[in-house]
Amino acid sequence: MKRRTSWVPTLVLLLGAVYCLIPVLWVLMAATKSRSELFSTFTFLPGSGLWSNLAELTAYRDGVYWLWMLNSALYAGVGALLSAVVSAVSGYALAKFDFRGRGVIFTVILTGVLMPPITLAVPQYLLLAKVDLAGTYWSVLLPSILSPYGIYLARVYAAAAVPDEVLEAARMDGARELRLFTSIAWPMMLPGLVTIFLFQFVAIWNNFLLPYVMLADDGTFPVTVGLYSLLQQGASRPALYTLVITGALLSIIPLIALFLGLQRYWRVDLLSGVVKS
Amino acid sequence: MQRRTALAVIALAGSLALTGCDGGAPAATGPVELTMWSWASLQKVAEMWNADHPDIKVTVQEQGGGDELVTKVITAAKAGDGPDLVQAEYQMIPTLVSNDVLTDVAEFAGGAEDSFSESVWKQVTLGSPAVYAIPQDTAPLALFYREDLFTQFGLAVPKTWTEFAETARQLKQKDPNRALTTFSSNDAGLFAGLSQQAGATWWQTSGDTWKVGVDDESSRKVADFWGGLVKDGVIDNQPMYTPAWNKALNDGTQIAWVSAVWAPGTLTTSAPDTKGKWKMAPLPQWTAGAAKTGSWGGSATGITGKAAKDGKAQAAAKFATWLNTDPKAIAALVKEAGVYPAATAAQSSGALTTPEFFPNQPDFYALAADIAKGTAAAGWGPNVNVAYNTFKDAFGKAATEKSSFPAALRTVHETTVADMKKNGFKIEG
Amino acid sequence: MAHTRRLVPHGFLAPAIVLFGLFFALPIGYAAHLSLHSMQVKGLGLGRNAREEVWVGLDNYATALADPELLAGAGRVLRYGAMLVPTMLGLALLFALLLDLPRTRFRAFSRLAIFLPYAVPGIIASLLWGFLYLPSVSPGYFLLNAAGWSGPDLLHGDGLFLALTNISVWGGTGFNMIVIYTALRAVPPELYESARLDGCSEAQIAWRIKIPLIRPSLVLTFFFSTIATLQVFAEPMTLRPLTNSLTFTWSPYMKVYRDAFVQGGLHSAAATAVVIAAVTLLLSFSFLKLVNRRAAS
Repeated sequence: MKRRTSWVPTLVLLLGAVYCLIPVLWVLMAATKSRSELFSTFTFLPGSGLWSNLAELTAYRDGVYWLWMLNSALYAGVGALLSAVVSAVSGYALAKFDFRGRGVIFTVILTGVLMPPITLAVPQYLLLAKVDLAGTYWSVLLPSILSPYGIYLARVYAAAAVPDEVLEAARMDGARELRLFTSIAWPMMLPGLVTIFLFQFVAIWNNFLLPYVMLADDGTFPVTVGLYSLLQQGASRPALYTLVITGALLSIIPLIALFLGLQRYWRVDLLSGVVKS
Repeated sequence: MQRRTALAVIALAGSLALTGCDGGAPAATGPVELTMWSWASLQKVAEMWNADHPDIKVTVQEQGGGDELVTKVITAAKAGDGPDLVQAEYQMIPTLVSNDVLTDVAEFAGGAEDSFSESVWKQVTLGSPAVYAIPQDTAPLALFYREDLFTQFGLAVPKTWTEFAETARQLKQKDPNRALTTFSSNDAGLFAGLSQQAGATWWQTSGDTWKVGVDDESSRKVADFWGGLVKDGVIDNQPMYTPAWNKALNDGTQIAWVSAVWAPGTLTTSAPDTKGKWKMAPLPQWTAGAAKTGSWGGSATGITGKAAKDGKAQAAAKFATWLNTDPKAIAALVKEAGVYPAATAAQSSGALTTPEFFPNQPDFYALAADIAKGTAAAGWGPNVNVAYNTFKDAFGKAATEKSSFPAALRTVHETTVADMKKNGFKIEG
Repeated sequence: MAHTRRLVPHGFLAPAIVLFGLFFALPIGYAAHLSLHSMQVKGLGLGRNAREEVWVGLDNYATALADPELLAGAGRVLRYGAMLVPTMLGLALLFALLLDLPRTRFRAFSRLAIFLPYAVPGIIASLLWGFLYLPSVSPGYFLLNAAGWSGPDLLHGDGLFLALTNISVWGGTGFNMIVIYTALRAVPPELYESARLDGCSEAQIAWRIKIPLIRPSLVLTFFFSTIATLQVFAEPMTLRPLTNSLTFTWSPYMKVYRDAFVQGGLHSAAATAVVIAAVTLLLSFSFLKLVNRRAAS
């Protein structure tokens, strides 16, 4: 039985897709333009400067752009990994143990989501500077580890994916609590943890304010702050638009690749709170 | 017991070593390491220094624009963090001093005074015996215009502001799609420079009292002049440093720019197709035949309180003096950062070769030196950042709505004074 | 043994509690401390130690609340949120429902394309759209002009709200769509197969069956989108250099940023930040309470 295509819904969705792709297409085209083509030729036609733009970007201050990309990968990768681990143990404890103060701890941690990043960033900087950590990789990594949202998700997921009976049975067999977690709960929670990892990876990769406040040496910048600094060169040197545009294009490629690559593990149902507990 | 004595000896030795360091012998532990924050590309110049001075190693950390740099260095200083040297625009020096960012290095760098003109030097001493920074570049204002388009439209280069307004009207009449220039609200530095030319001093001190003159008669005259041009629609009202502005300069939609001697560097990147088509002329005057100008920016190398705390102030002052007075360093500065040096000897030296973007004006720097002679003195206060930011918002609104510029200036004045009062400054009037 | 057992969850929670203490509680306490102090200068205010921190009690709060720009900024953000949240979630719901229809084509492509902006940082998204908003460099205006129309002014006045809303709709629709779509996929098809057999239209099924069933995820997306909206910062900051009309106090967060960083008023900024945080908390908890009560009844 061959089903007819419903054209109206298909068309509406394709319209949505086009809307979302326009700026991406624009940056793709703009990145191919040389400096004098950029604002003088129609923007949705490719130009002739892609390779020279790439070369110029790579040459800019001895390739600092690629260092920014590496830094972003480091902050997001390590930060998200640690974040997933901390979320996992906390979520597991909150879901699988009944103890006094559980509700309070959970609520207090959750209010962290509501805290405006700007309220936190400045005092975080002042405090980290007191222990000589401001400006280091740690100053961006450490505050990124705790993710209230991640803990919330891990709790929901642990409640759904780890059956109490399995834990009880293992306890009867005399398994230690830590082992219980590493060998039983962790593997069961893994798909959810991948989601938390990805979620936090994107959050850290896209974060601007924290690294902007913390870092001074552009060798430690992530790509968001780096591109912003390219854009704000000061009065006597206007923004290097061709570099910024080429850099912007390259900076979104890794995330897209990550999403495509990990699409199978991306359990968004977690985010919608529909996992039955 | 034996062990305890041994520990005590080690502890004593340790404290001795510490006192030794205090006495200024860090050379024993390798070179003095200095970090510098700047927005100009100074890394190459610092490398030249490092090659010749194994005892003092300077690392330059390039930062975003000037305003953000000030913000960052103040926050860092509050936290006891930050660089040993910082590039700062002159107008920000009192703010930095007031926030305890800069330190007095008169004992190490007082000798540099002779290398600079009196008015420039005053900006780094704030009229006190202290020395907070070594001047790097000055930025006298001038008029930049498209020679080819001026000829095409039969326009004469305006010598007075009245002529300037007339020129703007003529151009609008001949081609409504073009504008002589734009009034941009996003950098108060330009307006401050124009006010200086008209005779304004925005901040002054007497005894321990400040006097704020943002809203004085000369500044009001300047505000009224530009407000009138915007209101009549003979010049544009959109901000500078946007892609649209770049395009307007590049394709001749705007054919002149009131800017400072560093303009060639900016034009190179924003209007790449117009090489050899621009020319510099003296700034239009309020009184025919006068030769006055103001400054838009210009910067100095400041030595921070953190450097002083770490016992590095002397080394930092030594580097800052070299950077801004040594002929070799200045030549590199001009080449790498495109600055117009503040050191008087350098202004007439061979370091200044005609900007690549202005091959049609071989006497560019001779003219610049001429213009610079008429630079009006500037006076800055401890909250220029507040004034400048209020300017952006107030004049942005006035430019968009084509409403009263003097009223916007009044807002800037009042906000500035209120902020100073709130912080406990004594204010006259 | 039983005693140690009781400490197990605390052991598991230790890293989170320590991190929370160091990077949330302590900074907030510090902000509260700052908000009760102020810097006062001596003499001209120049030279070493010219400023000292003094206790000012609630003065900073009084000043913060008396500043009309704070309220005006809050009003602008509310207006922006009132435009953004319904549009974004409406589109996300529409796309999710369409994806869930049996006979739609190119689903994988559309889903991915609409989700793609999630991977683009707010700063970069604003930069890209900024170029598209400037009439003299935008290809959109180029086409409009070629067709003899003049495009809307998106960088001034009311247009600015459209411009900012558009950036956030673009960035946020895909993510919310995926969340809602996954919720829809979790609905057992038996629940609406019979309705389909009874001749109900897809629109009726969506309205009467699917939407009520996924209400919890709609509430959740609404909640998180609203929080994100209130925290709008990167988008207006990036657009600001392009226009005269975006003041530095456009949103309350921008005002905090300006006061703290650009004008060196760390103390008064801390007071404003504490006020904003308190209002956010209050609103969030009342909202959650309301939802819970309605869910219970």
